[in-house]
Amino acid sequence: MSDLHIASVTKLFGETSVLKGVTLDVKDGEFISLVGPSGCGKSTLLRIIAGLETPTTGTIAIGGADVTQLRAADRNLSMVFQSYALYPHLTVAENIAVPLQMRQMTALQRLPLLGGLLPSARAQAGDIAQAVSHAAQILEIAPLLDRKPGQLSGGQRQRVALGRALVRDPAAFLLDEPLSNLDAKLRVQTRTEIAELHRRLQATFIYVTHDQVEAMTMSDRIAVMMGGEILQCAPPDVIYEDPDDIRVAEFIGSPKINILPVERNGTVLTVFDQVLSAHFSADSPKLMQMGLRPEALRLTQTAPLLTGRVVHLENLGAEIFAQVALDSNGSRVTLRAIPAQRHSLGLGVQVGLSFDLNSVMLFDADGARLRKAEVAATRAAEVA
Amino acid sequence: MVAVDASGATRVTKPKADNRQARTGWMLATPALVLMVLILLVPIILAGVLSFTNYSLGNSGFGWVGLQNYERLFARSTYEKMFVATFTYVVTVVPISVGLGLGAALLVHSLGRIGDIYKTIYFLPVMATLLAMAIAWEFMLHPTIGMVNRTLEMACGTWLEVIPFFAGGCADGFPIWLGDRDYAIWVVCFIGIWQGFGFNMVLFLAGLTSVHRELYHAAEMDGARSGWERFRLVTWPALGPTTVFVVTISCIRAFQVFDTIEAFWPQGGGPNKSAYVMMFAIFEKGIQQNLIGIGSAITMLFLLFVMFLTLIQRWLVERKVHY
Repeated sequence: MSDLHIASVTKLFGETSVLKGVTLDVKDGEFISLVGPSGCGKSTLLRIIAGLETPTTGTIAIGGADVTQLRAADRNLSMVFQSYALYPHLTVAENIAVPLQMRQMTALQRLPLLGGLLPSARAQAGDIAQAVSHAAQILEIAPLLDRKPGQLSGGQRQRVALGRALVRDPAAFLLDEPLSNLDAKLRVQTRTEIAELHRRLQATFIYVTHDQVEAMTMSDRIAVMMGGEILQCAPPDVIYEDPDDIRVAEFIGSPKINILPVERNGTVLTVFDQVLSAHFSADSPKLMQMGLRPEALRLTQTAPLLTGRVVHLENLGAEIFAQVALDSNGSRVTLRAIPAQRHSLGLGVQVGLSFDLNSVMLFDADGARLRKAEVAATRAAEVA
Repeated sequence: MVAVDASGATRVTKPKADNRQARTGWMLATPALVLMVLILLVPIILAGVLSFTNYSLGNSGFGWVGLQNYERLFARSTYEKMFVATFTYVVTVVPISVGLGLGAALLVHSLGRIGDIYKTIYFLPVMATLLAMAIAWEFMLHPTIGMVNRTLEMACGTWLEVIPFFAGGCADGFPIWLGDRDYAIWVVCFIGIWQGFGFNMVLFLAGLTSVHRELYHAAEMDGARSGWERFRLVTWPALGPTTVFVVTISCIRAFQVFDTIEAFWPQGGGPNKSAYVMMFAIFEKGIQQNLIGIGSAITMLFLLFVMFLTLIQRWLVERKVHY
């Protein structure tokens, strides 16, 4: 177990720049998720960490030692692949044993027939069999050890791939979208199991996914990647509540965050000509974007800041998501309501919406967060 | 009562529907069955029947000779030579052409664009007419004016004479290849390999494209450092079905070798019948000498070998190499 240090890694595929200077520090025993839309470079970053790709520039260090020039086999990392990549001709037990055989036995000991005759090889094989059965116990796949991967279900194969990764004691586990081939129910279950496995092993996990739910539920920290860069790397609650960038805010959170244009005229802050704050005194751009989570919006009859008509309702039982087309420009915002408010929501019903200024996130036109402006706006509202 | 009637009625109508469906099925299969019987089974049965006779083409009748033809096959030295030549050829050509095909496929596969050039070059002998190629080889292997011996003679007087083969060749003349009973079958083997391995290479190349790339990455992560380890862990098992197919096809092709021998020695299957392979024997006995009975007996034996090989392949494919 050791920490991992990624320093300004770039990767060019021909002319295309896939990674644009990624820097990331992973602490020993941390579960970190690389999350982002497809094509953002998260898998490439993982493969560079693994050693399956070489970075164009930058360095990778594991436990303080620079491994940039080391090949994957010498880096002491384990990887679980999206397709599981199990050897189809070997049984489950043999699959799990491969990493140990490759690392602990000599080429002579591994020879198919002759190897079995060597006493040293027999002793080794005994140790390996023990390690395999231990790994199988952890993952509860002991009854499957004699089967071939072709006879297993997707979830079982996934466990075998995990078993092959954890049978030895690697510096870190790398997981490349390991749940994406499972059905929804199994995914939820396996998610919990991987998180528990992490707690139990106290090992470093680097987990690549495009699914924000997986990232939010399992990680100690999430690194949101887009366009070959890490936009923000922080614990899940910070990523959700305090994003640095409008792209992070938009990517994390379901339903998506509402973005509305905000204008500043002197000291007056307005959204669709509704005054938000009359005594706003911050040095901020004239045009800004405002991010409002669906749960920050509330229904109100008195002095609504926004008005609109309900155009779509999603009742999830415990909560209701209503899409409201705003009267001012027809853009839609999503509102989260509690079931008790169901009677006041109906298709086509006119509603008034309001929100607290301290739940507002402000971004400039390029999407960078304006925290100073938010503080100023909140303070101005309190004064008023 | 009604319910009983109804169930009784269905019990009657259902077999009827089944019958009709079965009849339609047979009707649809009939053309294929007829063709199979006419062009495959009937000739085989005819050959089987003829192998117990002394029939000759043009004769109005024939006599039953029982197992006499088969007894001859296992008693006469000519046929012993036939078996020796055939099995020498098969046992030499199959492993080497499969091995070379696999090696060439791995090398070509590891190259990028340039691989296509090699692919074309290695495949050229497969596309060429073997008969024409045999004539070209005959010229090259001519004892005095042939390219091969001329090239070998260039080694005379150099340090290469240390090697006994060159020492002997420079002193007493190099082998006369096609005219030497010790060399003839090996020359035929060499040409068989040269001609056949490109085909195997193409089959292996097709097999290689189906190997999952992530498996190589998994092998690397698992600590397979050398190319040989990756080959043993990933490539070779993945090529299992291809290999069984290639070996079977190569065996059958090797049993069928004929054109080279016909081109080199139209009169008799090599010096001292050292290259008298089965196909040539069938041709010589059955066609040239019009001994249909003995020709049919060799054919039946040939069929038996090929059938045996095919059965082994079926068994291997079903049991061993499909995961």
